[in-house]
Amino acid sequence: MKVLISGGAKNGKSMFAQEIAKKLSKEGHLWYLATMEPHDDEDDARVLRHRKERAGWGFNTAEWGRNIASHCGETDCKGTYLVDSVTALLSNEMFCGMSGDINREAPFKVADDLSAFSDVAENVVFVSDNIFCDAAFYDEWTDSYREGLAYVDRKLAEICDVVAEFSCGQINFYKGAELI
Amino acid sequence: MELIIGGAFQGKTEFAKENFGIEDDDIFVCKKDEAPDFSKKCIAHIERFSFWCVEHGYEPSEYFFEHTENTDEKIIISDDISCGVVPVNKTERAWREANGRLLIKLSKESEHVTRIFCGLSQRLK
Repeated sequence: MKVLISGGAKNGKSMFAQEIAKKLSKEGHLWYLATMEPHDDEDDARVLRHRKERAGWGFNTAEWGRNIASHCGETDCKGTYLVDSVTALLSNEMFCGMSGDINREAPFKVADDLSAFSDVAENVVFVSDNIFCDAAFYDEWTDSYREGLAYVDRKLAEICDVVAEFSCGQINFYKGAELI
Repeated sequence: MELIIGGAFQGKTEFAKENFGIEDDDIFVCKKDEAPDFSKKCIAHIERFSFWCVEHGYEPSEYFFEHTENTDEKIIISDDISCGVVPVNKTERAWREANGRLLIKLSKESEHVTRIFCGLSQRLK
């Protein structure tokens, strides 16, 4: 089963995603696919906090921050993968290098990579972020990222069996409610 | 009237085209620095019209109905701009509120209100 969970920050997405991944998984085949590449102390602290939150859940960890399709060969075919998050993955691929350039092909690549990965793994729970509902005019750079993330989310929504959004801890299904 | 809302880039216009048989020529895309023309069947980015109203001292929920004929036949599309941090900029704060008032009024008048998320639709009304 493939599941896409999105929503605003601190609305309960990650906890639900962990629970559903745990429920879908076979013993010993539960994976946390960590996509964030830590860059500073703040990131390190976040990684530690997330590790603590997952302790005791039985997650194996794969740290793949980019080029997900290149890891298909080492993917556990019986595995249930929690991909947290699509947002970080796109950011790694889109803003790589120190030049400040944007890789405009990144959204297409990330969507293709995740689709290929989905074909290999038995279950995947994707976590993304709803960054599309605020009253602001962004610079072109930020808006390309928002448009890119929306593209990836929409492609994932097509291939996922379940699509849901979280608001204040409540789940709202757009697809596949009966499967959960 | 049909009201379609959702976050930026979620597939609202595609939804309108697929479900209401409209084409690009039927769509008026509002601009934040130009007076609108509401004669076309589908009006997209109406939140930009709200911004134009705020900058020109109009109330969008009044202006729209005063300047639009056959409102019951319109298909209106708006970005949901209601969920971010309260904008620091005064005009943007007023814009967010004015668009909220407009959408509440449009939603009352609409036969259906649909929210689009990741290309998928959900009927709110």
